[in-house]
Amino acid sequence: MGRLSVQELSVTYRAENHRLTALDRVDLKLAPGRIVALVGESGSGKTTLGRALLGLLPASAAVSGQIRLDDLELSGLAETQWNDLRWRRVAMLFQDAAGSLNPVQRVRDQVAEPLRVHRGLTLTEARMQADGALAGIGLDPALGTRFPHEVSGGELQRALLAMAMILEPEFVVLDEPTAALDSGTKGAIGRWIRQAADAGTGMLLISHDLELAVALADEVHVLYLGQVIESLPGPALLNNPMHPYTLALSRSVAGLDTHRDLGGVRGDALYRVLHRHPAGTGETDEHAHLVGSAVSHAECHLPARGCLFTPRCTQAVAECSTREPALEECNGHRIRCLRGGIVTELRLQGVAKRYGDAHALHPVDLELRAGETFCLVGESGSGKTTLALMAAGMLEPDLGERVFRGRPMDSWPRQDRHFLARHIGVIQQHPARAVSHRLSVFDIVAEPLRIQQPRLGRDALRERVFAALRDVHLAREPEFLQRYPHELNLGALQRVCVARALVTEPSLLIADEPTSALDPGVQAKVLKRLLDLQIEKGLTMLLVTHDLGLARKVADRIGVMRAGRIVERGPAVRLLNHPEHPYTQELLRGSFRQPIAAPVR
Amino acid sequence: MGARFDPAAGLGRRLLADPWFVTGASLSLFLVLLVVLSPWLSPHDPHDMGYAAFAPPSADHWLGVNDGGMDIFAELLAGLRNTLAFGLVTASAGLAIGILVGLASAWFRGVVDQVLMRVADLLLAIPAVMILILLASFYRPSPWVLALVLASLAWPTSARLIRSQALGLRTRPHIAAARQMGGSSAYIIGRHMMPELFPLYLIAFASKVRMAVFMEASLSFLGLFDPTRKSLGRMISDALPFYYLDVWWHWLLPPIVLLTLLIMAFTFLAVSLERFFDPRLRAAWAD
Amino acid sequence: MLTWRGHLLAYLLTALVMVYLSYRLPGWLPGDFVTAMYADSHVVLGAEQEAALRERLQVDGGFGSYLLALARLDWGTSHAFRVPVSDLILNALPWTLLLMGGAHLLATMLGFVAGVEAAWRRGGRIERTSVGGMTVLQGVPEIGTGVLLLMVFAYHLGWLPAGGGATLYVDHGFAERALDVLRHLALPLATLLLAWFPGNFLLARASMVLVLGQSFLDTARAKGLPPIRVRYAHAARNVLLPMATRFGLRFAFMVTGALVVETIFSYPGLGTLLFNAIGARDLPLIQGIVLFSSLAVLGINLVLESVYARLDPRVRVYGRAL
Repeated sequence: MGRLSVQELSVTYRAENHRLTALDRVDLKLAPGRIVALVGESGSGKTTLGRALLGLLPASAAVSGQIRLDDLELSGLAETQWNDLRWRRVAMLFQDAAGSLNPVQRVRDQVAEPLRVHRGLTLTEARMQADGALAGIGLDPALGTRFPHEVSGGELQRALLAMAMILEPEFVVLDEPTAALDSGTKGAIGRWIRQAADAGTGMLLISHDLELAVALADEVHVLYLGQVIESLPGPALLNNPMHPYTLALSRSVAGLDTHRDLGGVRGDALYRVLHRHPAGTGETDEHAHLVGSAVSHAECHLPARGCLFTPRCTQAVAECSTREPALEECNGHRIRCLRGGIVTELRLQGVAKRYGDAHALHPVDLELRAGETFCLVGESGSGKTTLALMAAGMLEPDLGERVFRGRPMDSWPRQDRHFLARHIGVIQQHPARAVSHRLSVFDIVAEPLRIQQPRLGRDALRERVFAALRDVHLAREPEFLQRYPHELNLGALQRVCVARALVTEPSLLIADEPTSALDPGVQAKVLKRLLDLQIEKGLTMLLVTHDLGLARKVADRIGVMRAGRIVERGPAVRLLNHPEHPYTQELLRGSFRQPIAAPVR
Repeated sequence: MGARFDPAAGLGRRLLADPWFVTGASLSLFLVLLVVLSPWLSPHDPHDMGYAAFAPPSADHWLGVNDGGMDIFAELLAGLRNTLAFGLVTASAGLAIGILVGLASAWFRGVVDQVLMRVADLLLAIPAVMILILLASFYRPSPWVLALVLASLAWPTSARLIRSQALGLRTRPHIAAARQMGGSSAYIIGRHMMPELFPLYLIAFASKVRMAVFMEASLSFLGLFDPTRKSLGRMISDALPFYYLDVWWHWLLPPIVLLTLLIMAFTFLAVSLERFFDPRLRAAWAD
Repeated sequence: MLTWRGHLLAYLLTALVMVYLSYRLPGWLPGDFVTAMYADSHVVLGAEQEAALRERLQVDGGFGSYLLALARLDWGTSHAFRVPVSDLILNALPWTLLLMGGAHLLATMLGFVAGVEAAWRRGGRIERTSVGGMTVLQGVPEIGTGVLLLMVFAYHLGWLPAGGGATLYVDHGFAERALDVLRHLALPLATLLLAWFPGNFLLARASMVLVLGQSFLDTARAKGLPPIRVRYAHAARNVLLPMATRFGLRFAFMVTGALVVETIFSYPGLGTLLFNAIGARDLPLIQGIVLFSSLAVLGINLVLESVYARLDPRVRVYGRAL
């Protein structure tokens, strides 16, 4: 059994006046018995890579780099030499199962065809073997005598798999093998793929279905605009992404065991194009730019050098558009990010607080990564609020240190505190007590801006206040803006507080029971808005709540607190489905009426 | 077929950029102008047999005189007019039936659809030319009757084309809305479905004119019309026996050229329209 | 969708309607039909003949006996040739079969292969010019090409005979005889080929281009099949249905072209026979030829109905795509 690998593989498609970069110096190794998954949005180059392994790229494709099967260099092989390899050593299952079989030939004959062409079997022998293969994958052999349109989608996909395996190839490329299948069939096909891999076939699984990749793959490569942007062990994909893109992708999955609301990736799926403008209409040198929907040409010029993800990244800095990141080791993953992956927004190390003899908080570590939602749950008095206030810089710890964006919080010079205030928005627990009763609604929301940006013009101020009020679905009529807190009900007041926290457009939001006083309808809207801000601006959230239902809807990670300690913490999916600490289990049992579903894997 | 018909904006401009369309349109314009201007172009009566037979082209007789002493140029213009008129009448009538049947079939579905489409299948299998020959040789009807008979035999292709598109149209929301508002079938078919498929009619019309012109030329060539009726096909068959004489270039060639130009014009129009609206609609070519 | 048996029934009914029409038509002529039929015919009936005709038309055993007579090949007697109509038809038939069959076979096969190959090389200059050229050629009617070919090759160059199906009254050996027939066949065959080839080519190419975009061809290539097998066994097989469908839809109209071409080249087939019959107003002969060719066309369409499902199994489920 051999190895199939690509090195520095680049593919560009020539079109009339531009070149589309489909793959950009990709390295990949397939080995017997391993399933390597390639995930990414459409247009990321996944399929191109799969096709390149079989020499099936169209004539308009320019290929550079190496494709090696054992010691044989494949790129540049003649068609007849390729034909000798195809299906016999490397087979492929194409996207669009329904269209992958010739509509005018019987299923069995198509499954048998490789046997006839490559092994020179007679029609009867080949048909017998094909029947065997169909039976082997759980299909009624009688089905083979039907035409593709007489066969259901799931059966078709199985027949295609049987056809792919008929010559017992060393490697199989599976392009979206479960798209458009119901979950039952999907599971069965997934198990079959795993079995085939365990029997020694090397698989390349191309999919935008992260769940499938996680469930099946031994390693996962995330492709973005033709570059591998993160390589990671399969199961880590949903729980422990290191690159902001992977994090955003993992939030886009509607998995059965995830409870969090769907997120998404900021911006648009894009293509990467190299082109020249015709003489006299701008830049005439060849330059790169991105093509998406509804973006003007000028806006989507890519920096000549730099990280491809910059335009959609929520944590990009100036350097990102000038220096190209390399694929580097990072906590067992390999990622392509100048900032070393998702940055740490806030790090608390060994912070502790005691009031007299009572330990409100034992020494605790907490790290918040940019763009994530961390929920602190636990009963009242467990130290949640104390920890949150320390994170917000509103309470000094007795011990330990706090670092916000790489700078120690406690040793900041006084004039820098505006920076802290502007980037950390705080929503306190008791809205009625958190606002001055002498300020009108408008003044309450405008206060942080007036303090931090005294030179902001009146109109700009109004605009930003209104935007913040709109975000939390509050009225902007003068009559409402001039009201005072005691004239508002608790729900409206809490939303005013949320608006106040958001008006400075902070990057970290610390919220202590931010929706406790809201009607369910408004609560849902406010949370939805916060999650949208997270996708668009990369807002990091530390949420304190006793409501586990809320936590499971919004959290990426959850920390369970009891008596001043975080007793268990971890990715929300894992923690909610397989709680380890007895207290967490108890907490969960208390929250749900029915028992937690049994472990899936 | 999933093809959609959304008459796109700027269609006219895009059509004018297509060489096939421009050639077809200018050719047909040229031929129509020839017909319209014929009284001024040729002073002679095409039926006047009073000239010297076999006279070569001259200032008076641009294309000379034929064996029966008739001015060839006048004959040519009259023939073009008759051939074109036959084509237009047949195509209009055939298309009208095709639209009605196609829309009714798609709208009512069920039994109506089954019956109409079976009839269409059978008509497609019957050689129209045979029916026309039979009728013409027994009754010698006027050309208009033959045109209508041909139209009544030639509607199935456009009916099937229109039906296949109208089936998709049927489920569009605005049709459902009109239905909900209480619009009658006739109202919906006439007010909503009919205008939506307009480009299809153009395609079907162009290819039907082409077919009808071809049929007229063939039938008159075979001598099925009144022998005194001028027609391009008849002129060719009259001149053909003399092809070995020098008269071929001014007698035999002109009707051939005009006929070819006429058929070409509508071929190009049909090809171009078809490419614009949907390259998959090759069925229009069944005519 | 109708089953095969349903099609058979429908076609039989249509054929019966056609036969009935041809049986009833003379009776619907105004006035005394014998006078009406022969009023301005070139045929001058002798008194004896007229009496025989009247007897034949009036001793009318009804539609049933008419059908029986047809089945017995008693199709009446041509007055211009004074021979049984069936003899005339059977004599002309081989020539028509040779000409039309040959032209159809060649036009379909060449159009198919050329269209498939053109689509395979799409985007190239040869493909673009051939598509343009074929579109132009599609606008030239058989009458035009036929007359032009006749003038150029038969008259001006004198390479090929101008008319007829074979040289008469010459005693040839078999090879010479065959060559002679082929030389006579060349021009009419070329005319029909020029008329029918472009449509087949364009359709085959357009259908093939659509097929080429489908993923089963990726699968076929990935299987490592030899290119010719990918192109024909997988791709081009899907072009057969649209081509057969077009053949069925157009066949009835193609007959017209064949009639004209035979007439131009005085080819001794049914077309020329019909032309002469029309010229002489030889009604029994016209009736016979019309009926015979209509039934033949219906028969061919019936055969096609069964072929569609063989060419594309989806037809059985969804019905013939338009």
